[in-house]
Amino acid sequence: MNDKTKKLKIDKSKLPVSITIGIMCFIIVYIMCIQFKTAGSIEESSIETMRENELREALANWKLEYEEIYIELENNKDKIKEYEGKMASNEEAGELLEEEYKNAKMLLGLTDVQGTGIVITLTDNSESKFTSENLMHLINELNSAGAEAISINDQRIVSMTDIVDVGEFIMVNGKRVTSPYTIKAIGDSTYLQSALSIKKGYLDEYKTDGYTISMTTDNNVTINKYEGEMTLNYVK
Amino acid sequence: MKGLIKLIVIAIILGCLIGAILGINAPVISYTYSKYLAIAIVAALDSIFGGISSTLKGNFDFKVFVSGFFGNAILSMLLTFLGDKLNIDIYLAAIVVFVNRMFLNLTIIRKYYIEKIWTKTKEVKKID
Repeated sequence: MNDKTKKLKIDKSKLPVSITIGIMCFIIVYIMCIQFKTAGSIEESSIETMRENELREALANWKLEYEEIYIELENNKDKIKEYEGKMASNEEAGELLEEEYKNAKMLLGLTDVQGTGIVITLTDNSESKFTSENLMHLINELNSAGAEAISINDQRIVSMTDIVDVGEFIMVNGKRVTSPYTIKAIGDSTYLQSALSIKKGYLDEYKTDGYTISMTTDNNVTINKYEGEMTLNYVK
Repeated sequence: MKGLIKLIVIAIILGCLIGAILGINAPVISYTYSKYLAIAIVAALDSIFGGISSTLKGNFDFKVFVSGFFGNAILSMLLTFLGDKLNIDIYLAAIVVFVNRMFLNLTIIRKYYIEKIWTKTKEVKKID
């Protein structure tokens, strides 16, 4: 009994010591296990585990590469600027070309045009009928007076226009036109008018020959575009 | 005394076992903090060898041992932290000191046991 209590007493008094030692063992083994695991699982190549010197080296390399790429970027930027400048000049040229194209189309008679001018109406009567030559004469007169666009019964007169007699009818641009012939011309209206109505001029001559002609000036003459096709097969 | 040693051995085995089991299943900590753990381990090992050598010398004090075990570990970690802040590898100095002391203590332990075995064999020879 006495021996037992003595043994228990010793055990009790020495219990904290053994517990402390146990805890210490636990702590050191636990920490060592964690540390072994950490050290074992570290990848040599990942940036978190690299030594400072390695990081410095890598950083220096990246810096060099960055500088190279930066220079390349600058070069490319310059190139882009150059191209942009070229593009702008191309656009300018394009605009000029477009304007020229429009002008050319207008001159050719491929667009509807408006402007000041005169409207002449030729009407057949029982005594005298207009022929293609009369029309050509009139157009010639108008052209010499500076007409910029002419049409006969809405058939635009262009460089390829033919005015011919086919039997009883007059063909303009391959299309039949009949009396009354309305000839529209855009140009300096007063000049056109005076050119036609001077003494011994077109109007004078034809009126004395018994033709029916009337002429009016108009501030807003509209002349339609040439509706046929213009193809060149032999001109080179 | 025998009971105490038994108890201590049981405590050591138990502590080591639980520590190993828990440690193996513990998550991996980040590389930045693994440096602190390493220095703490070295400090603890130094304390253990110091404890053993002082036991052999006969001036072992349990309070000094426990306070050294935890105090050195925490202090070395604090020094490492300070070194990080100062941009100086202070933990290298701590490791040098700890390892140096570990070798000194190991020398004491080695000498003690060599002498013990030496005297034992001599005694055996004398008896023969």
